[in-house]
Amino acid sequence: MKKNRLLFLLFFLLFFLVAADVFLGSVRLPAADVWQAMLGNSPEGFAYKIVWNFRIPKMLTALMAGMALSVCGVQMQTLFRNPLADPYVLGISSGAGLGVALFVMGTSLFPVLATVSWLANLGTAAFAWMGALAVMLLVVAASKRLKSNMGLLILGFMIGSAGSALISLLQYFSDAPALKHYVLWTMGSFSNVTGQRLLIMASLCLAGMVVSVHNIKDLNIFLMGQSYAKSLGVSTTRIRNRIFLATTLLAGSVTAFCGPIGFIGIAVPHMCRMIFGNANHRTLIPASALLGASMMLLADIISQLPGTGSVLPVNTVAALMGIPVIIYVILKNKAVDL
Amino acid sequence: MSTLVEIRNLAVGYSKKEPLFRGLHASLNAGTVTGLLGPNGIGKSTLLKTLAGILPPLQGEIVTSVQQEQQRVQQEQQRVQQEHRRVQKEQHRSSRACAFVPSQPPRATHFSVWDTVSTGRYRYTNWLGMDDEEGKRAVSHALQKTGTLHLAARDSAGLSDGEFHRVAIARALVQDTPLLLLDEPTAFLDIAGKRSIALLLRKLAVEEQKAILFSTHDLTLAMEYCDMFWVMTQDHTLHKGTPQQLQAAGIIDRLYQ
Repeated sequence: MKKNRLLFLLFFLLFFLVAADVFLGSVRLPAADVWQAMLGNSPEGFAYKIVWNFRIPKMLTALMAGMALSVCGVQMQTLFRNPLADPYVLGISSGAGLGVALFVMGTSLFPVLATVSWLANLGTAAFAWMGALAVMLLVVAASKRLKSNMGLLILGFMIGSAGSALISLLQYFSDAPALKHYVLWTMGSFSNVTGQRLLIMASLCLAGMVVSVHNIKDLNIFLMGQSYAKSLGVSTTRIRNRIFLATTLLAGSVTAFCGPIGFIGIAVPHMCRMIFGNANHRTLIPASALLGASMMLLADIISQLPGTGSVLPVNTVAALMGIPVIIYVILKNKAVDL
Repeated sequence: MSTLVEIRNLAVGYSKKEPLFRGLHASLNAGTVTGLLGPNGIGKSTLLKTLAGILPPLQGEIVTSVQQEQQRVQQEQQRVQQEHRRVQKEQHRSSRACAFVPSQPPRATHFSVWDTVSTGRYRYTNWLGMDDEEGKRAVSHALQKTGTLHLAARDSAGLSDGEFHRVAIARALVQDTPLLLLDEPTAFLDIAGKRSIALLLRKLAVEEQKAILFSTHDLTLAMEYCDMFWVMTQDHTLHKGTPQQLQAAGIIDRLYQ
């Protein structure tokens, strides 16, 4: 019952932060105007445009990104039985980064590409997603030969390093605008995900969440190691591939549309284990989704520096919020064990 | 006593070129406790892991009563088309013959004893891993049998080695398999703990009519609680017999020379 009460509290916190994210922003708007805009009154007004074209899509993006990265973090930490595993441990962010770098570099070398309408609109996200998918396919192919998860972890690290090296190489040959485009992408942003992009991201995240919920039973078995899973007659390869699929859909989509946002994916699962004192994934997955979304909304609110007219990179705020939590759980040690 | 597992011409190890043991023939009967003895590194754990399905056999076959039953069910399936679905379900439920308890069973932090044992019912629980009433009764029964029911709500990471070994045995029990395999279940326990686990295994063999095979280096304990011995010797031979037979044949003396 304590679990249900805490989940309800998290749900309430999320609801509060959803409202706060819509009411607060870098542009100061009176609360009454925001409320009227949300009710659909005066659609020609300034507040209506800000709320419906900017704040609500941004809030939905932050909400989905927080849920996706946290649920992904839980699965990676359980799969590798490693408290420092995060959604990007298999090199997804490097793959996505390489995809973006190739796209940016491609459009700077061949400006005609930027005139293709779908590429101009979805190019960065599409290339980032393809980069993430390519890395994951590489990991899945290698995992057929690698029996131990430690080998997979090292492989992921190597792929990540190789991706970073290639990105550096591409940066070296890039011109200033392309470099700026890439650097801005790495800082993370929820601002540009509207309309068609929002719909695509929501569909991919929803599919990823469905796969993650389907993984709950197997994740509980993996908590006690792969030998135990094998002794139960479970196909560990099949489960691993299903976890990889969830990771690609969730972390791949968030990275593609919002950039690589770190630390929330590591910190939130640990916070949930501390708050609930329960590592059962039937609790941990919904709790991480709720708390992850709340943390990301809070990061978004802070990054907007409400009322000041300027905006901070969301990645910086997420790191400053996540790192103290990680240090705390490491110092407390007990909560780190999986 | 019915035979639950039969090993035919089995080779175990990590390389087909150099198996640790080959040509193994043996059987395990319901209601008996068999002790697996042998020096360190001889291949006891490898044999247990092969029987448990964690490692593939290099050669030969392990035929379980469940598999024989499955063959019978398949024949039945062909004859009785109307019962096709029911038989298939039955076949899936009974496809595991062995439950395995490693020497140091891994445990998760922030995971209750009840949840730990419940994971053993993987094949019976719903898609979220939740048990029905029958499943809850099975978990409760296993905890009761192993004397750990009072620990059900505790975090399994906070238990002593002896307590957690009992929980791991409960987790193996709920798998509802005719054969229990245990790799050195008494290795890290004090004398009282060792005796209590050995007594528990005896009780489970008799009351639940299971075949139990466990590896150990504790000869005194094994002599007291085992009905049969499998002794693996340096000449890559598996000697089988009652403790008295093997002692009379000088096999046990040879083991510790």
